[in-house]
Amino acid sequence: MTPSPVPSALVKRKRRRKTLYERLEPWLFLLPALAVFVVFLYYPFFKTVYLSAFLTNRYGEAKVFVGLKNYTDILTGTRSGEFWNSIWVTVRFVFFVTLGGLTMGIVTSLLVEKRFPGNAFASAIFAMPIAIASSAASMSFKMILHPSIGLLNKLLGTQVNWLNDIRYTFGVICVLAVWLATGINFIFISAGLRNIPGELYESAAIDGANGWDKFRCITLPCLSPTLFFQVIIDVINAFQTFNIVKILTLGGPMESTNTIVYSIYLDAFRNFRFGSAAARSIILFLIIMTVTLIQFRAEKRSVHYS
Amino acid sequence: MKKLLALFAFALALTVALPAGGVRAEDRTTVTFWYSLSGVNADAILEIVNRYNQSQDKVFVDAQYQGEYDDAINKLKAAGMGQLPCDIVHSYEIGTRFIIDSGWIRPVQEFIDADHWDTSVIEPNLLAYYTVDGKINSMPFNCSTPLLYYNKTAFEEAGITEVPTTIDGILEIAEKLTTYNANGSVDRYGLYISNYGWFFEQWVGKMGREYVNNGNGRESYATRVMFGENGAALDIFNMWRKFAESPYVMYAERGGTTQGRAAFVANKAAMALASTANIAGTIANVGDAFEVGAAYFPYVNPDDDGGVSTGGGTLWIIDSGNEARMNASYDFIKFCVNPENQAYWSSITGYFPINVNARDTETFKANIEKNPQFEVALDQLHDSGPQYVGSLLSVFPEVRQYVEEVTEKVYMGSLTPEQGVEELVRMADEAIENYNLVNY
Repeated sequence: MTPSPVPSALVKRKRRRKTLYERLEPWLFLLPALAVFVVFLYYPFFKTVYLSAFLTNRYGEAKVFVGLKNYTDILTGTRSGEFWNSIWVTVRFVFFVTLGGLTMGIVTSLLVEKRFPGNAFASAIFAMPIAIASSAASMSFKMILHPSIGLLNKLLGTQVNWLNDIRYTFGVICVLAVWLATGINFIFISAGLRNIPGELYESAAIDGANGWDKFRCITLPCLSPTLFFQVIIDVINAFQTFNIVKILTLGGPMESTNTIVYSIYLDAFRNFRFGSAAARSIILFLIIMTVTLIQFRAEKRSVHYS
Repeated sequence: MKKLLALFAFALALTVALPAGGVRAEDRTTVTFWYSLSGVNADAILEIVNRYNQSQDKVFVDAQYQGEYDDAINKLKAAGMGQLPCDIVHSYEIGTRFIIDSGWIRPVQEFIDADHWDTSVIEPNLLAYYTVDGKINSMPFNCSTPLLYYNKTAFEEAGITEVPTTIDGILEIAEKLTTYNANGSVDRYGLYISNYGWFFEQWVGKMGREYVNNGNGRESYATRVMFGENGAALDIFNMWRKFAESPYVMYAERGGTTQGRAAFVANKAAMALASTANIAGTIANVGDAFEVGAAYFPYVNPDDDGGVSTGGGTLWIIDSGNEARMNASYDFIKFCVNPENQAYWSSITGYFPINVNARDTETFKANIEKNPQFEVALDQLHDSGPQYVGSLLSVFPEVRQYVEEVTEKVYMGSLTPEQGVEELVRMADEAIENYNLVNY
């Protein structure tokens, strides 16, 4: 099958028709990657779209065709209250976690930007959350946040029921998620900081810029490609947060932490309603896609590539 | 190169020779057993499996942990239509209806009949619970009832001699049991209350009322819930309002009892509700700090006259189409519930033995001698009648989750008890209707 090697000069001159194999060759190279995408992404995606138009039986097989009823039920019907609550919870969660995660990422990377004794140690501490599985962290925090025997209440001298008090739980979950997101943000933003040419700061110093000016006019613009990337990753991660909620709150108290991903999980794997869960997934997909498109629009205006 | 070859030959010889040391694995029928407990309870299961594998050389049981009960069911579901990946699966009581309906299994009854095994050794109340359509579909293995755990030492200090049998009784003494720090904050609450759907089911049973229609789902599959119209849910929600109003009661969590037990063990709660399954762990964790008492699960209303039903898990034989493996599975299951193993199981975990003869074994007697709390659960089950056997419902996990959700709203005051009942009934009925529509 291997075609005999043809001198490139010859090919250029003759411009002969490509053989079938030559036309297929690039596709053969793409095939493994395409196969993986089709099996693990496109097939599940279209299956989800398909399922969302059905009521499913206990095995998750499509049984009764209901058209858009799964969607109307969640959007305007009997289960709409719970659905819109989960959207509202998720949107707030994504906002706070992305903002918090980025801020903490920038702050921690700036803190270790200058060389000082213990720099490596501090960097390791800031990057550590990457190495912690969110489930394991949540299990620990379940005890740390216990109202009577938890470490946090001991330290603060309070008796707050962190995980079951409508005033605090959402905030607690956000803080935990921010902490877990900080590690990866720290790594990327640190790398971004190293790439900013030192001359820029030097010339700014000559012009008499103070620290804040340098940060605002040099660091942030030069960092913007990294930040843009991190925002997208953080937003998507925050939308998909599941472990923390599953382990710490089960969506409570009073559904104040019932994120959309958790409600999808409940519908599919607890309630056997794969159709409704599929409809929720599609809605989540549309939301994330819209948000990402908006972000790419915003990129043109606010991201500077060198 | 020679060295390498020699090493390779040696390794090869080892792999071939090793199994030959004992009974060759391929001569034994291997059955895969999916179990769903962790911690001390898992160790005890593995010990029983070990005992079985060493007791004979026909069958080899390969025990695999598959996560909690829900996870195992989900994995079976995912394996779905094709070859099911295990021979024995361990599942919880509220999965009973679902698994029977699934058609994945062969009722244990068929094997019992062929074997002429005497089922009268099974605790009568358990037999009643797991007999569906006149058949024992799965073999009860780890069975529990909920209990009131109390701090005996604290009771003595407060001068309380009688352990309450009703929620009102608990609320009355909660004040006396509450202690304070120097700064006036609460050090130990009278009661830590966990919002766990299983308790709701038990309270309905203790009222002697029905959870769902059609004879609690036993005459035919249930089509709607009954706890709304028979007032059970309202009584329970009114009780939750009392918890909310009492400063001596702390809300622990929803969907389990981990936090409540943690507070109890740390002497931050004088009372807590939890399963018998936790009694061994609780006693061990408390150590010498105080004396652990166990009492019957409390009634909601003083004039209630029902009883508790069982919770816990059973063993199912998967219909693999391979008679040898299914018979081997049955043989192993029979081994799991023999008196000695059930006595051992009970003494390690706190689940009560499902085999009535286990009580005559030395293992059981020695354990009761040392920890009399272990007997409370069993007594409680005996005091309950087979008529409070508990309900069957395919969407139990979903309804349980709604129960917890609505209970929380009532407790925190965003719904009145009446509104709570209305909402819960609506959600539960809709779930049942939806399930029945596509599955029957």
